[in-house]
Amino acid sequence: MEFKLDFGYLVEIIPELLSFIPLTLFLAVISMIFAIIGGLILALIIRSNIPVLKQLATIYISFFRAIPTLVQLFLIYYGLPQIFPAFTAMTAITAAIVGLSLKQAAFLAEIFRAALNSVDKGQVEACLSVGMTRAQAFRRIVLPQATRNAIPATSNVFIGLIKETSLAFTLGVVELFAQGKILAASSLKFFETYLALALLYWFLIIIFTLIQQTLEKRMEKPYIS
Amino acid sequence: MITVTNLKKRFGENIVLNGVDLHVNRGDVLAIIGPSGSGKSTLLRCLNLLEMPDEGIIEIGDTKVDVTKMSRKETHLLRQETAMVFQNYNLFKNKTALQNVTESLIVAKKMDKQEAERIGKELLIKVGLEDKFHQYPATLSGGQQQRVGIARALAVNPHAILFDEPTSALDPEWVSEVLQVIKNIAQQKTTMIIVTHEMKFAEEVANRVIFMADGNIVEENEPKEIFHNPKNPRTKQFLKTLERDE
Repeated sequence: MEFKLDFGYLVEIIPELLSFIPLTLFLAVISMIFAIIGGLILALIIRSNIPVLKQLATIYISFFRAIPTLVQLFLIYYGLPQIFPAFTAMTAITAAIVGLSLKQAAFLAEIFRAALNSVDKGQVEACLSVGMTRAQAFRRIVLPQATRNAIPATSNVFIGLIKETSLAFTLGVVELFAQGKILAASSLKFFETYLALALLYWFLIIIFTLIQQTLEKRMEKPYIS
Repeated sequence: MITVTNLKKRFGENIVLNGVDLHVNRGDVLAIIGPSGSGKSTLLRCLNLLEMPDEGIIEIGDTKVDVTKMSRKETHLLRQETAMVFQNYNLFKNKTALQNVTESLIVAKKMDKQEAERIGKELLIKVGLEDKFHQYPATLSGGQQQRVGIARALAVNPHAILFDEPTSALDPEWVSEVLQVIKNIAQQKTTMIIVTHEMKFAEEVANRVIFMADGNIVEENEPKEIFHNPKNPRTKQFLKTLERDE
């Protein structure tokens, strides 16, 4: 059987797929916001050396870095309601956001910890020496410098997250990938449909990479001699 | 003005400050000299609690603390009595020269931005950096960075400025401009404690000199006496070693 690429079909379905990009971005951005908050809290706990809390944070990071995202999503969406009936009311979208946030928080915690550690100790000493508090030093001096250090690795996490939102389809969320599957099943044009999907994800990542580069350039400004 | 009583500090087994007593009057310029490891930098860093002393009483300006039972608030208050100029400048890397100077005014003293900038510019002009207000530390030479560091310390209008080997990290070409700025400030009766290896400078700028060795103040006198007529054998030996090196 000879295969002929139906280019017309590929172009034709793109507008329909495009309409699902907002949902994909919604899943990624909301999960990223929660993951950043969670990751920062975990990183601060680990740096603070508070007993018990620190051990708990370490176990958290170890656990969520280890289990596959798919296992985790199923555990939350299908598993938890069996123990806690209250979770039955949880929508698939919520479950996907919870799962992705929990996981990426663990990865971001490690990135943030390293970024915070890489800020020279002398910066805090200088703050204290002119009468600032530790909290002021953190907010005004340490955090901005650590942010710059963390941006490249954090961007990689976000790129990973955009792609992992496609796993939400396994919970029944009709997002970009799920819609692609539906189209492919009805037209039987698997190659064209999935190629269109691949191109769309690629396009998303290219746009984000451009944003990232602009951001990095702006944050680098003070450090260029 | 500054009174330190029985200050002790050890790092593990190593006793760095062995019960130091120190008194500095308002307007004094005190130079602390001594071999490396004698505890002079640690003494300075204990005064603003960047190192936590194990024992002792520190009184600076209006704040008096016993370091063994010191609250967070007291720690903060004592730190606000002084400002420090660091060996490695430690300028805020994400802030411009002007922002380095105004940061503490805006954040710690809650001054409004315009007033802070007026003071900041005045101080940068004073240290000869009138054309560098908006440059970041990465674009400044070592000497310029250290002068920003001095302006930043002056901004908080402290009871005393602590200089921790302010020229040790500088390339030789920048040393004199920084020393000149410090001399100018000294002439305005600012209380200063300077840990330094620049003996000539110490002799010129200080009105009192302390020689430290092994965590103790071994000798204390006017510069002329210390450098030209030292009494203690340790001081004599130290100064002789320096002469040989030169």
